[in-house]
Amino acid sequence: MADADQISNPNASVPNSAKQRLHSLRSAAHPSAVFTSDLSVNEFLLVRKAGFEPIGLCVGSCIYHVGIQYSSWKSNQELEVLSQAMYHARELAMTRMREEAKQMGADGVVGVRLEIKHLPMEGDILEFVAIGTGIVHGEGHAGFRAHDGGPFTSDLSGQDFYTLLQSGYRPIEMVMGSCVYHIARRGFMQSMAQAGQNVELENFTQALYTARELAMERMQTEAQTAKAEGVIGTEIHEKSHRWESHVIEFFAVGTAITPLTSEIASENIPAPQFVLSVNN
Amino acid sequence: MGLFDFLKGSPPATRAPTGPFFDANGVPNFLHARLEEEKASKRPWVSSLTAAELGLARSHGLRMIATLTSSCWMHYGYSWTHGHAQGWQTAVKRMQAEAIALGANAVIDVRMITVKLDAEDSMDFSLVGTAVRVEGLPPSPAPAIATVPALEFVQLLEAGIIPVGIAIGACYQWAPSGFADLYMGNQLSGRWQNRPLMEVTEFWEQIRRTAHAELRRDTARQGMGVLAQMNFGQLFKIDRDKAPTDLLGRHIVLGTVVDYDKNIRPPQSIELVLDMRDNDDLVTQSEHHSTYNEGI
Repeated sequence: MADADQISNPNASVPNSAKQRLHSLRSAAHPSAVFTSDLSVNEFLLVRKAGFEPIGLCVGSCIYHVGIQYSSWKSNQELEVLSQAMYHARELAMTRMREEAKQMGADGVVGVRLEIKHLPMEGDILEFVAIGTGIVHGEGHAGFRAHDGGPFTSDLSGQDFYTLLQSGYRPIEMVMGSCVYHIARRGFMQSMAQAGQNVELENFTQALYTARELAMERMQTEAQTAKAEGVIGTEIHEKSHRWESHVIEFFAVGTAITPLTSEIASENIPAPQFVLSVNN
Repeated sequence: MGLFDFLKGSPPATRAPTGPFFDANGVPNFLHARLEEEKASKRPWVSSLTAAELGLARSHGLRMIATLTSSCWMHYGYSWTHGHAQGWQTAVKRMQAEAIALGANAVIDVRMITVKLDAEDSMDFSLVGTAVRVEGLPPSPAPAIATVPALEFVQLLEAGIIPVGIAIGACYQWAPSGFADLYMGNQLSGRWQNRPLMEVTEFWEQIRRTAHAELRRDTARQGMGVLAQMNFGQLFKIDRDKAPTDLLGRHIVLGTVVDYDKNIRPPQSIELVLDMRDNDDLVTQSEHHSTYNEGI
């Protein structure tokens, strides 16, 4: 029988520093090292496992008045005024968040949430919020910053961030593209002519292709500027922000990534095991 | 942007281009330039993969090339039910044409989506996915359209199974005149008793069977079997003024077609673990088309 103080599994032992910490509630070793974050416990563990420390929540917001744009009833067309508004407002919120992260000395921001809220008072005033947790590399490695030397931004969770680094990649920038598009209405005569048969509405199909392409291409251009190898986690949102019924915003957002230093050979990327989780 | 710029109208570049929209294969003409550049890796690739899926894809020799989307907006003046088969099949065909133009071997993580826009008895059938190249494989003449998340794609691949496309079975039928009143309406005798409605059951069952038979035919055209996770059925009673009540039944089944060698068993061993994830963020959540939410 082993001594009660000795634990057979070294992984299950509690480190001395943690024991000390439990003895004295306030640590004398870190008088100023208070951090704020919205990380979950598991995210916190994995961000630290990846060699990073959280330093603080970074917030950027922007209240924006979205202008008016008229469009012809019958034409497929982009509404540039609205496209620009939606993009510009998000960009401002993101820049402010990144600026706060920079002042904290963060190497990057993880878990960025980019949200749009309607202010109750006015229909055409929107609030854009970007919020995430600033992190620094534990040993001051500067190689994780974005191409311009500032902190990287990403919407990756702590788990995703850890996994990405394990795969030999690092995040550079949250990239996005927006296109607000007016989809033409069909004339009455045209509707009548097509009653009783299944046909493709080519005009509508083309509108979808064109609008999506504009949003995605803008996002891709951002990734190119950030010197990314690729973009992961791309989502294309299609949403009408209380505009008239045939106006839709196509919004593409993703995280631009690049290989760590040199690309890891595919056989060196750890292959996950097949497991069956017993707790959920 | 100046105050009155919107009065001047849009610059021509953002208007829909003139000339035929699609080329002979179903690739939009204005996409060719981008696809060429992406094929030659002159632009950053864009993918819907999560970090975990990226690691797995790379360790299994997959190279991301581009995000592909395709659409078909159908007006179902003739039949809503058949419109679904037609719409999805057209979208798959168009996506495949783009994948060929890219020199891809497969499109993975293909999601079926629709825009929420109510427009006169019509809706769009759209697909979004990530085109990949398998290292050491020449471009495929008919790239697989895999409607499963990337993690599942690699899982299937390891087990020697390839998801190749979408199979659809769709059937709708109107009951004969007077059927609804006779067998499920107020004239039904013995309304206070428990009893099976045999005629209605038979009517409904036959619609389902026909849809399933069509699914089987569509599957046989493409591969060895289908994982049909989407079953959608509706039975409508439509009351008419001074006329017999109408009864309409419709059923749609669709799923991912797989092709495999029956002699290969899944090689992986499975371990039981305690999961540290807080949610399923590491896995792409494929959602069904929103139209199917209210089915029975």
